[in-house]
Amino acid sequence: MNIIPWLSKREDRRSGPGAESSITRFRDEMDHLFERFFTDPFGMEPFGGRFAFGPRLDLAESDNDVIVKAELPGIDPKEVDLRVEGNLLTIRGEKKQEKEEKRRDYHYVERQYGSFHRSVQLPTSVDPDKVEAAYKDGVLTITIAKRPDAKAKRISVKSA
Amino acid sequence: MVSDLVNEKRDTATVTRAERTREGRTYLPYCDILERENELLIHADLPGVRTEDIDINYERGLLTLQGRVDPRREDRRFLMREYGVGDYHRSFEVGEGIDASRIEAEVKDGVLTLHLPKTESIRPRKIAVRSA
Repeated sequence: MNIIPWLSKREDRRSGPGAESSITRFRDEMDHLFERFFTDPFGMEPFGGRFAFGPRLDLAESDNDVIVKAELPGIDPKEVDLRVEGNLLTIRGEKKQEKEEKRRDYHYVERQYGSFHRSVQLPTSVDPDKVEAAYKDGVLTITIAKRPDAKAKRISVKSA
Repeated sequence: MVSDLVNEKRDTATVTRAERTREGRTYLPYCDILERENELLIHADLPGVRTEDIDINYERGLLTLQGRVDPRREDRRFLMREYGVGDYHRSFEVGEGIDASRIEAEVKDGVLTLHLPKTESIRPRKIAVRSA
């Protein structure tokens, strides 16, 4: 084989992806566990949105919109199925391999393929008719307008 | 369950000491390497990197790819931040059999494809058998 992912000198680079990943993955999982506990200790997704192979999401709020982002490199945006039902956003789709290649031709496989599915509860009531989705550089951005009654209002305090 | 999500991005600090030229975390892009008759192909996931922000270098047998990613926008209130946002950095050792001067790259939908052509000497060749 003529190309080897370069690892640090301390590690045996001939031991392949397994050696690199087990400790790293464990660490990442632990990091994530802590991160989740501190950012979201009670679970923001009451419907347990994480089934199947779920893309990782960013969920943000601006004054007028709810913005959901997912890193989904190499997908066909036409094959992404987006649904907004009530306050539940569902993203569904499939990530296909670039081209059908024979298995034996692969020296190294790290990227994930297959169907993905994720449902997420949105924080405020949204208008399902005002959803925009854009796919650029492998990142899917979904912008959903908040309902007028869900928008933040500034209440002025009158002095008596 | 956490395990149901896409694998978390790996911080380069866990694998190699990457050069830090910018603030923030740096991630190892997930890569597939496959071999074709006349070339090796690397597919690297670089979501969120614009074409002009990809930097590929080859020096003394080491092929390095870098992708610059803008940090998250500060004007928004985040409720979920499940994936890391940061630059990508990864190096590959390229062996003798690759013609480094003809390495080519293209990017589409956040996936970088590197073509590493094999040198003439290692390409498979069909040898004709003559009858005596």
